[in-house]
Amino acid sequence: MSSQRERSRVLQTTRKIGELIMEYFSKAWDAKAQGKPLAWITVFTPVELLRALDIYPIAPEHFGAMCSARGLALDYLEEAEKTGYSQNLCSYSRCGLGYALSGMSGLMPPPDILITFRNSCDVYVKWWQSLHMHLGAPLFVGEAPYVLTLEDLDNYVLDYVVKQLEQLVKIAEEKFGLRFEMERLVEIVKLSDKASELWLETLKFRRFKPCPLGGRDSASDIFPLVVMQGTDQAIRFYEELLAEVKEKANKREGIIEDEKFRLLFDGIWLWYAFDLIKYFEDRGAVFVYEPYSEAWAYRLDASKPLESVARKVLAMGLNVDIDLRIERFLESIKEYQIDGAVLFSNRSCKSWSAPQLVTADILSKKFNIPYLLFEADMADPRQYAEAQIKNRIDAFLEVLGER
Amino acid sequence: MYVGIDAGASATKAVIVNKDAEIVSYDIVPSGINFRASSEGALRKALESSGLDLTNILYTVSTGYGRALVNAKSTSSEITCISRGVHRLFPSVRTIIDVGGQDSKAVKIDGNGRVLDFVMNDKCAAGTGRFLEVMSNTLGKSLDELSRLYFKSSKPIKISSTCTVFAESELISFISQGSEIEDVIAGLHEAIAERIYSMSSRIGFEKDVTFTGGVAKNHGFIDALSKKIGFNPTLPEEPQIICAFGAALAAIKKYEGNVSHA
Repeated sequence: MSSQRERSRVLQTTRKIGELIMEYFSKAWDAKAQGKPLAWITVFTPVELLRALDIYPIAPEHFGAMCSARGLALDYLEEAEKTGYSQNLCSYSRCGLGYALSGMSGLMPPPDILITFRNSCDVYVKWWQSLHMHLGAPLFVGEAPYVLTLEDLDNYVLDYVVKQLEQLVKIAEEKFGLRFEMERLVEIVKLSDKASELWLETLKFRRFKPCPLGGRDSASDIFPLVVMQGTDQAIRFYEELLAEVKEKANKREGIIEDEKFRLLFDGIWLWYAFDLIKYFEDRGAVFVYEPYSEAWAYRLDASKPLESVARKVLAMGLNVDIDLRIERFLESIKEYQIDGAVLFSNRSCKSWSAPQLVTADILSKKFNIPYLLFEADMADPRQYAEAQIKNRIDAFLEVLGER
Repeated sequence: MYVGIDAGASATKAVIVNKDAEIVSYDIVPSGINFRASSEGALRKALESSGLDLTNILYTVSTGYGRALVNAKSTSSEITCISRGVHRLFPSVRTIIDVGGQDSKAVKIDGNGRVLDFVMNDKCAAGTGRFLEVMSNTLGKSLDELSRLYFKSSKPIKISSTCTVFAESELISFISQGSEIEDVIAGLHEAIAERIYSMSSRIGFEKDVTFTGGVAKNHGFIDALSKKIGFNPTLPEEPQIICAFGAALAAIKKYEGNVSHA
């Protein structure tokens, strides 16, 4: 009986994501064998540009999430800690550093270049510098000023980032003997835009009651948008996903049978604790919106390829003003008919967690939306107190049930 | 008769009530590592002292950390149980501050005892009974002695660390530097009160306020926290059983609900 219910919790298309991820990593080794340059990137680096240059991008953050989901993170975390990296540092960074320090014979081939942009995350630059020190691969650090208003972005910041993208191209051409062609970037920008369009279209179906796509799906299916942008494979995946979700929505089929509460989840998922999503779902609560799911979905304009990519570097993730982020957050409450919010205060991600108390106040005082705030870590299972968190979830759902 | 069992991180409480929601009997035992055994033990003792047996029990609701491991017909969260229990005892209470062995929480309720908002401590044990237990072991003083010595202090020292482990070493260094033990103990109570105060401030201190949970048996803690919030709380006679009492009230409701559906 439980296996049948279990099946209904994940979409058929989502079941293919594991294979897609493994294929992506194994192709990285193929690329390496063929002599193609391989870049370790942070997840808000313009993948489109690298793909146009024929540089193969892989993201240690994604690797960290995946290791954690498969119960493999601890070895790498401990490896980094053995070297002296503090447990208070971001767990993705510890996982990536631990991997780099332990021979790099697993999923990620050693990098030929380390590329990061100073956007979204306050750890990136120091992390990439550490990798550079340990591995010796050349380091490129792009600078993306914090976006206070979207007008500023148009007025003066955009040119600054475009120039850096041009510089990155020049470095890649000189270092690896590659040749950049604008026509190729245009094609890749079109593919990337298409994938984002498909994903955003898919997410809109979560406005349906019952919601046809659950938290496990959204947390898993985001991956092609992060590192596979500009590939046909990503498009095929999102087309299939959209078709499945559309059909489910039309049949009024929810990801759970008896939908009682529609929840917002704020934060990066706790990758080692997917069963927590099931815990909510078993109690009739379904996640219908997460800011995280929209973080990489960015529409691009193929008529201005470089500007468009620069704009994405600036406006993705946490690089925009908190007021703009909160605005989007609040819009979603109406759009998705949200009953309650679950805020995950992530020990690893201060940039994400710091504004949560402000958001929580607005939610409860202005919108009368109950919230649950709990603390743990996204990839380090040692920071997770399961019984304590489930205790809070029970209380939270009882409060929702009494309203 | 109806039973509420609160299988807490540190103590397990069983409360027996009659159909009029009056407490007939209760008992408190250490939880140990086996919630099933501790809950059965607490219930057996409560039954014995009231001359009842298991056949008198119509419905049992469990709550607390070990709620799923206890032999009960249904479970409920501590937040709901505490609110029910407090509302029944003190209808005028709007804010509950509950400090248990591993958790501390502040709950805001309305005039019907409905939960409006709640906050709980983060993963850290600094603002819980565990903090006082550790310090009581370190100092070799019982929890009762701690409370008694608190009131003897004239100039409490300031514990700066919020971490239980660091605070423990801080305390040892204060004592080795010649601080009076009562001043150190007063400092500890103020540290825990400070922690609870800042957590609870997120939901505010709308009157009346009550303190519940095992730590609310400690008069030093009550005094330190009352001073922080600036007024005196309404205190239950036995603050440790309020959650189990609320679970017993839930048992009445559940039983009556089942009967009317039958």
